[in-house]
Amino acid sequence: MKLVIAAVATLAIATAPYQFHFPSDHGSHPSYQTEWWYFTGHLKATDGRRFGYEITFFRARVRPQDVARARQILGGSRWRGDQVYAAHFALTDQGGGRFFHAERIARSALGLGGAAVGKLAVNADTWSLTGVPLADRSRERMTLHADDGDTRLDLTQTPLKPPAIHGHDGLFRKGACASCASHYYSYSRLHTQGVLAYAGKTLSVSGTSWMDHEFGSNQLLSEETGWDWMSLQLDDGRELMIYLFRRPDNTIEPQSSGSIIERDGSVRPISFNQFTVTATSHWRSAATHASYPASWRVRVPSASLDLNVTPVLANQELVLRQTPSYWEGAVDVRDAATNRLRGQGYVELTGYVERVIL
Amino acid sequence: MTAAWTLFRSLVLGYIWQNRLRSFVTLLAIGLGIGLFVAIDLANATAIASFSSNVNIVTSRVNLQVLGEGRGFDERTLLKVMRAPDVVQASPVIEDSIVVGARQGDPNSGEILRVLGMDLLQPLPEGIDMRGNSDPYGIMDGRGAIVSQRVVDNLGLRIGKNFTALAGGRPVTFTVAAIVPRSVSAADSSVVFVDISTAQELFRKIGTIDRIDCIVVPQRLQQAKAALEKIVPPGTRVIEPATRTDEVRRLLRSFQVNLAAISLIALLVGAFLIYNTVAISVVQRRAEIGTLRAVGATRGQIFTAFLAEGALFGVLGSFLGLLFGYFLARLAVGAVTHTVNTLYVSTHVDRVLYDPRLMLEALLFGIVVAMLSAIAPAVEAATTQPSRVIGSRGFETQMNRLAILLSLCGLLLLGLAYIAAQAPAIDGLPLFGYASALGIILGASLLVPLGVIATASLLQKLGYRFSSAALLAAANFGGTPRRNSLAIAALAIAVAMIVSVAVSVYSLRATVAAWLNQTLIADLFVRPMGVSGEVYDARIPAAIPARIRALPGVAAVDTFRGVEIPFHGSLITLARTDFSTIAQRDWVHVSGGADAATLARTLPGTTRVIVSAPFAEKANLHPGDSIVLDTPAGPTSFAIAAIYDDYSNDSGTVLVDQRTFNRLYHDDSAGMFSVYAKPGTDLNVLRTRVIRAALPLRVEVQTTHDLRAVVFAIFDRTFLITQALNIIAITIAVMGVVSTLFALVLERRREIGVLRYLGLTIRSVRDMVLYEAALIGILGGLFGIGAGMLLGLLLIYVIDRQAFGWPMHLHVPYWPLAESLLLVLAAAILAGLYPARVAARIATADAVRTE
Repeated sequence: MKLVIAAVATLAIATAPYQFHFPSDHGSHPSYQTEWWYFTGHLKATDGRRFGYEITFFRARVRPQDVARARQILGGSRWRGDQVYAAHFALTDQGGGRFFHAERIARSALGLGGAAVGKLAVNADTWSLTGVPLADRSRERMTLHADDGDTRLDLTQTPLKPPAIHGHDGLFRKGACASCASHYYSYSRLHTQGVLAYAGKTLSVSGTSWMDHEFGSNQLLSEETGWDWMSLQLDDGRELMIYLFRRPDNTIEPQSSGSIIERDGSVRPISFNQFTVTATSHWRSAATHASYPASWRVRVPSASLDLNVTPVLANQELVLRQTPSYWEGAVDVRDAATNRLRGQGYVELTGYVERVIL
Repeated sequence: MTAAWTLFRSLVLGYIWQNRLRSFVTLLAIGLGIGLFVAIDLANATAIASFSSNVNIVTSRVNLQVLGEGRGFDERTLLKVMRAPDVVQASPVIEDSIVVGARQGDPNSGEILRVLGMDLLQPLPEGIDMRGNSDPYGIMDGRGAIVSQRVVDNLGLRIGKNFTALAGGRPVTFTVAAIVPRSVSAADSSVVFVDISTAQELFRKIGTIDRIDCIVVPQRLQQAKAALEKIVPPGTRVIEPATRTDEVRRLLRSFQVNLAAISLIALLVGAFLIYNTVAISVVQRRAEIGTLRAVGATRGQIFTAFLAEGALFGVLGSFLGLLFGYFLARLAVGAVTHTVNTLYVSTHVDRVLYDPRLMLEALLFGIVVAMLSAIAPAVEAATTQPSRVIGSRGFETQMNRLAILLSLCGLLLLGLAYIAAQAPAIDGLPLFGYASALGIILGASLLVPLGVIATASLLQKLGYRFSSAALLAAANFGGTPRRNSLAIAALAIAVAMIVSVAVSVYSLRATVAAWLNQTLIADLFVRPMGVSGEVYDARIPAAIPARIRALPGVAAVDTFRGVEIPFHGSLITLARTDFSTIAQRDWVHVSGGADAATLARTLPGTTRVIVSAPFAEKANLHPGDSIVLDTPAGPTSFAIAAIYDDYSNDSGTVLVDQRTFNRLYHDDSAGMFSVYAKPGTDLNVLRTRVIRAALPLRVEVQTTHDLRAVVFAIFDRTFLITQALNIIAITIAVMGVVSTLFALVLERRREIGVLRYLGLTIRSVRDMVLYEAALIGILGGLFGIGAGMLLGLLLIYVIDRQAFGWPMHLHVPYWPLAESLLLVLAAAILAGLYPARVAARIATADAVRTE
């Protein structure tokens, strides 16, 4: 999302430890600049076809003082608001080697877009995400809907682990400054079931997903160009999240970090010096001419992990008209030594096309 | 083939080369005629195209629109439309206008920009890139505007810079958020995009939208349309974008057809000229033709050669015409769009749309007309007996009998024209009226030869009383009746055109002046600043006229508000008025149905209405009839109580009582209002008071005197293009006179030589030619006035009434007519100057040597 940072006193800034309360923290935090609910996952249809998918909802706060001033001067059109809602929907057809994506952008007028506070209910146009708390109040059964033309995806998500809160004391650092941080948690393993309408067919699908929910106001420093993010779900029941912030000289911000989520759901933060990520090949986009890293060697010695991460399809780039394009794709995870399949995951690469401003 | 080519080369090309100056003048005249035709055609097409592109600029993929009829509708309709089956995309649109560069006191200052308020978070029209802007969501804070490159250049702006405009008379500051490149705004660069929130607030349309642009699955267009029609609220309709363009086309049709008809007359004058040219060349080459026939050339070959001559003039003239048309179109487009903007719909044209199909059509049309004009002389050339062609005067002497025959035909045509004039309009177009006009033009032309012969014989009887030059001129004039007749007929047509247009425009102006005296009885007229023309849809909150009503010195205030709504495939205005005061103020002149006092008593609060005379005329409505109009309250039936005079536009106005209007439209704002001062009030003082009381709304206040001047300025500008057409037609005709006289002089070389040898002075030779030119001018003028008066009556009582619905009475502009006649005579004599000089230079010895 390309938004200008407005250094406004009324914005909440993630600087202090944060105590998450569920289910209310699944809902929106409109006093923060930016917030997103990110779903990625791997689906298998009843006919055996495999799909990767991404459905993401963004909320961005637009310079509220200008909006307030305009409303005062001009009057109250319902179309004037200080929140913008956007959503991305991508589908990777592994067997067919095809990648599909669409975007929506909306505001709160007429309920075209919105995100409830205190509960999980987000929508942009007809796309929606809603949640119902389960008996264990920190877990939420969630339903997702996105459609574009003849392609439609309806999913139900059930968490298999409690929310994994990243960083320390509810604060996830993204840069050197004190305010360069966000509040960030994941459902690192979700059981997914649903229906996919694709290429003229309606398929029953099931699989495993990952959900991120993050909010903050000052997440990316002006001296950072983008980030590389990966979520790997291993067959041994553990998950690994790595979040790397790139600087213009192609070095990585030392505050970058990650998390290991153990089988029992406990979270172990790993700092930058505890892991290495090395790009082993590159892919050039014909649409945007951007050059992306296209496979990685990931080592976390403390967790005895040495992995090769490879995209299931080279071209999983979302080429967008309204917002900067980025690469978000399904990946296979193999053991570096034996080349044995050890899991699956998703990788996000931003800022390769245009500098991301949050 | 080779023989035909040889024939063509010797008979035609050689001749044209020998007479190159005359040929050039002819070509120039034909080119001008075709050029005028092309220019008017292009201007008309451009005006229509610029309107349809208003729709297309947003996205060419929009294939259905939900349109509020004269009023916005509930914005929540958008949700229903978005969720309807087969709807791929639905975009809300607010359509309104702002004015930039307006100055107080100058109603013509400023440019009206069309504002499209859209959800600017959605993808912008192709080619507009917001990414160059550092603040993409600045558009949501109420200031951001996306402006065309042209406007940016005109106002000296760039991205991030501010500009001030008037929105509904209130000053607003915008920031340029992005620029629409020329490639996107090609046809309409007056569009400004703002966010829908800004538009709703600026134009006081909160909670409503004017239009929804939909993209539906193309294969299921009709099903989608039917589904949408079930869910949209009353007072809205679901149309394909072309429907709106068709309505505008229909709205402009009478105006455009009228222009096209006038340009056709210019072409007709050109056709006469081609006929004239080929006919002269046939006559001049009679001896040659005889020789050729005698040595074995077939009739077919001779016919083909002369037809080819006509075609050659047609091809060259048409190409020249395209060239002229190319440049004339720029002027014509300016004039046409000005009128369209003032009287019909708001549009903006940057450049002429050179439609290659139209230009090709004009080219072919020119060639066909040229060949048709050449058929008659070519047939004559072909049927000439070799033995009879010797002796070049022989042919002309047959003219007496022929002239009588032609005159009878002419009278017959005039009779037919009279009958055609009685016929009603066809589908709103005075087609029989145009046929009648053609009948008058041709009929009068056919009377010319008899007129020439009669004049010549009369002059020869009187001629001895004058100089020898005059006598000779009279003899010559009668001696070549055919060539002179053609020149005179062409001149007469041009004069007739001038006279008829002058008479009808003058009559309309006089009628409008009388109407203005009757209707402009308020003292001050108030409207938002920087706005002229009927089409600007301003909304003055009801509080402002109420405030002004309370000012000292104000006796009363009348508000006016109109909405444009579709009716039978065209657009009409439904306007609000206060019927209770209609009898006291008497600004409405009721011409049919109930009188004002009855209206004041019976109409307030009802759905009984009065309709403008043009509307009644064109829709064939009478007091007692009912019309059904779609309003936000659903289809509503309005009974017509009376018909009133209205010359402000020809599209038609329905006046409804203010209480009824407010009930139907939930709208009590005013587009403009008029102020009646108490007796003895200083209007200048009151004017200042009104301006101050209207703040923050900036208003333009005009006195009756000012407004009348503005109305006539608009009126005169509207008819400027017809005046221009007249001038071009007369230019073509004068070129015809030059061409004819030149031919006559050249043909009479030997004769003139002999006359000189016999002692005629150079001066007398020159005078002789000038006398002849004057004769052509006088006869052309007289015939032109005769035909022109007939055409004028036709225009006033048939064509204008049927096309525009304007009832008017004949007012003859005697002095302007006399002036233009003198001008024509002067032009004819001027046209004789060069041939006269050539004649005077003919050397005695050379000319006589051949004798």
